[in-house]
Amino acid sequence: MTGASQIYHEAIKALASAAIGDGSLTDPSGTAFLDNPLCGDCVEMRVKIAEGTITALSHRVRGCLLCQAAASLLGKRAAGSTRQDIERIAGQVSQLLRDDATAAAAWEEIAVFKPVHGHTSRYRCVELPFQALITAMQDAEARD
Amino acid sequence: MKWSLFEQLQQSIKAGASAAVVVRLSDGAEALFDGQGWQDALWMSETQCSQALRMLVADRSGTLPDSEEFFVRSYARAPRLIVIGAAHISQFLAPMASLAGFEVMVVDPRRAFANPERFGDVKLIHKWPDEALADLKLDATSAVVTLTHDPKLDDPALIAALRSPAFYVGALGSKRTHAKRVARLTEAGLADKIARIHAPVGLDLGGRAPREIAVSILAQVIQVRYRGTAG
Repeated sequence: MTGASQIYHEAIKALASAAIGDGSLTDPSGTAFLDNPLCGDCVEMRVKIAEGTITALSHRVRGCLLCQAAASLLGKRAAGSTRQDIERIAGQVSQLLRDDATAAAAWEEIAVFKPVHGHTSRYRCVELPFQALITAMQDAEARD
Repeated sequence: MKWSLFEQLQQSIKAGASAAVVVRLSDGAEALFDGQGWQDALWMSETQCSQALRMLVADRSGTLPDSEEFFVRSYARAPRLIVIGAAHISQFLAPMASLAGFEVMVVDPRRAFANPERFGDVKLIHKWPDEALADLKLDATSAVVTLTHDPKLDDPALIAALRSPAFYVGALGSKRTHAKRVARLTEAGLADKIARIHAPVGLDLGGRAPREIAVSILAQVIQVRYRGTAG
């Protein structure tokens, strides 16, 4: 297990403060609002989809640095992905957090969350934006 | 009272705000004072304004303490105590404050803590504190106390409270915790307002149990309401 200063290392801080995708898209194909009832973090995700692929997304995050960093990573990398892609990457993130797995991941940036391993109460902080995106994509599919 | 002033007062009461009708006894000129400013012109010195504000916060009427020049008639709503954090202390503080005549609400986006099983019929607001406080429109008869133990939630509440006319702002935490908080709030540009925070929170009654800390906080809020921060 690592201490707080190691969880909030420079790469996480940089990713969080870049806040890529922060905002509110107009005319989204799907939206989702998820929160973590234990820590109060909440994510509003809006996504635009064309032929099953993300063309744009936006998020509004009220939460900790981990949650902000995960949302920012989605803003940076999610365009071009299908729901299956995002679900696979979300699975890799969960595995990295829980098993400290070092297996090759689709996005190399998810390695920034490795120090969170062992801090079980914080896993959901990282996972929440991924789940919000998946839920928003399901919402878009339901609207079709 | 002039009809137009009566209408203003009626509107203010309808809007759930507190206001005082101030009369200048020398000539009968009158105006409505909401604790921050005037709805009509009536000149008072800064000291007289703050004395009128103190009377409004305490819901007291009469002439100003140091002069017979102005008569203040307060129309204050029940004081509000806004508790940030559905913490253990809050479970005692909320019902106690309600019995003591406060309109109480507990703000916490953490639904796992802010739930009716723990709080009965206390009003719960599942929002981030800054958003909740913006909706509640803090006024001169509002008190805010932060009890979450999490700066992520406490800080936005304190920032909103310090920028408002709330008569009481308190924050739970040791002297060490408060020193760190002061550093963060200074960085947020609130250096000149930090002294308004009551920390460590509550009167020093010696008790450490959550229910005793709740008593000490409530006692301090009541003291500040009637005596001002000078004690």
